[in-house]
Amino acid sequence: MDAPTAFRQQLLGVIPSLRRYARSLVFDRHAADDLVQTALERALAHWHQFDQRRDILVWTISIAHNAYIDDRRRHARAALVEPSEGFDPDASQPAASSDVGLQLDLVKALSRLSLEQREALLLVTLEQLSYAECAEALRIPIGTVMSRVSRARIALRALLDGKGAMPPQGTLRRVV
Amino acid sequence: MNTAPNDALLSAWIDGELPPEQRAEVEAWLREHPEDAVRVRAWSADARSLRSALDPVLDEAVPTALTQIVWRKAPAVLPNVAWTRWAAALALFVLGGAVGAGLMWRVQGIATTAAVAPADGWVQRAAVAHSVYVPEVRHPVEVKAQEEHLSRWLTRRLDVPVKLFDLREQGFELVGGRLLPDASGPSAQLMYQAITPPGAASAAAKAERVTVYLRKPEDATPAAFRYEQQGELGLFYWVEGKGPKSGPTGYALVGALPREKLLALAEAIYRQDPSRP
Repeated sequence: MDAPTAFRQQLLGVIPSLRRYARSLVFDRHAADDLVQTALERALAHWHQFDQRRDILVWTISIAHNAYIDDRRRHARAALVEPSEGFDPDASQPAASSDVGLQLDLVKALSRLSLEQREALLLVTLEQLSYAECAEALRIPIGTVMSRVSRARIALRALLDGKGAMPPQGTLRRVV
Repeated sequence: MNTAPNDALLSAWIDGELPPEQRAEVEAWLREHPEDAVRVRAWSADARSLRSALDPVLDEAVPTALTQIVWRKAPAVLPNVAWTRWAAALALFVLGGAVGAGLMWRVQGIATTAAVAPADGWVQRAAVAHSVYVPEVRHPVEVKAQEEHLSRWLTRRLDVPVKLFDLREQGFELVGGRLLPDASGPSAQLMYQAITPPGAASAAAKAERVTVYLRKPEDATPAAFRYEQQGELGLFYWVEGKGPKSGPTGYALVGALPREKLLALAEAIYRQDPSRP
């Protein structure tokens, strides 16, 4: 059975937010739109699994997140390199600078965060998801969202202050 | 707050994720500890710069390639579902010998009907039944709500438990029910109408009405809530799996109501489902 019109209209509505989320993951405009395309195709193929009581943005972001993870895994295997957490900021520079409004320092610092921290921070600050929704999208416990977001904030600030990748251990306090 | 809030707590405070008491404690702490307040302000400022860096993406024109994907027609069959059933059938065959063979024949039959007769057939019939009977003034139902045997009668004929759902909390009362023919057997329609204040009884004919369509599904697979809009009619439909005392039941709730209002009714029905423990 084909996806109903109402569902397609819901999907259309989330494309701008999905594009922003994808851009914050892969930075390059074309690579980001490829990711959105994959997410939309998967959402359409599995539309019957979507529970209408849930938020369609959270659901599609979850799909895009999984697609991105799959993609990284494939590339890591193909290139036979260690799957590194940090995004190579130099590789993303030309694409990032061609985008209007992207602040290079910030994007560079953002790209140095681990994927786990970056995603949690972006979903909460950019997409304004609640911790519960973020936990649902990333399939992790709420407590993990809370600690990832705070560690991402500390790491990002340290990078922007020019203190390198990690904050001094002393400022890290135990997480509930 | 006597002990210092950890960074996760300060960060959750920015995101408005703390319960009121904890929030007040963190705020008191920040008033007395300016060095922490400075850190928290810097994090908030970073969040603002992140938004201003990436928000312009929202205003970009969406590439037509992406909108085209959304409107593209998907293949009509669900190969995964059919494949899973085949695998299940095969497993039964190997395990159960002659019994397995019999079951395989059955399961295979179900898989075929699922592929050629998707849910939209019966959901469509639910929508038509709604449109036919809802405008009726004198005979909207076959058996009135007051008659005790309504539930028993429908349960017996449908071979699925028909419970007269109580939707008064949502502002709807039961009018009654009727038996209807469906593709593979009988189905039932329960009609509810918005509770009108006393004295306004003559307006009953124009009162908002919703119908619940119940049937024994060919396909026993439980299915999530789905929503469809057909003109002014909204439809929520789902399939409840086999309960401890009953078989699977297909439900379709139909009404010309806003989606949220219809959802509240669908959830009330879901909660009252007799097959749920």
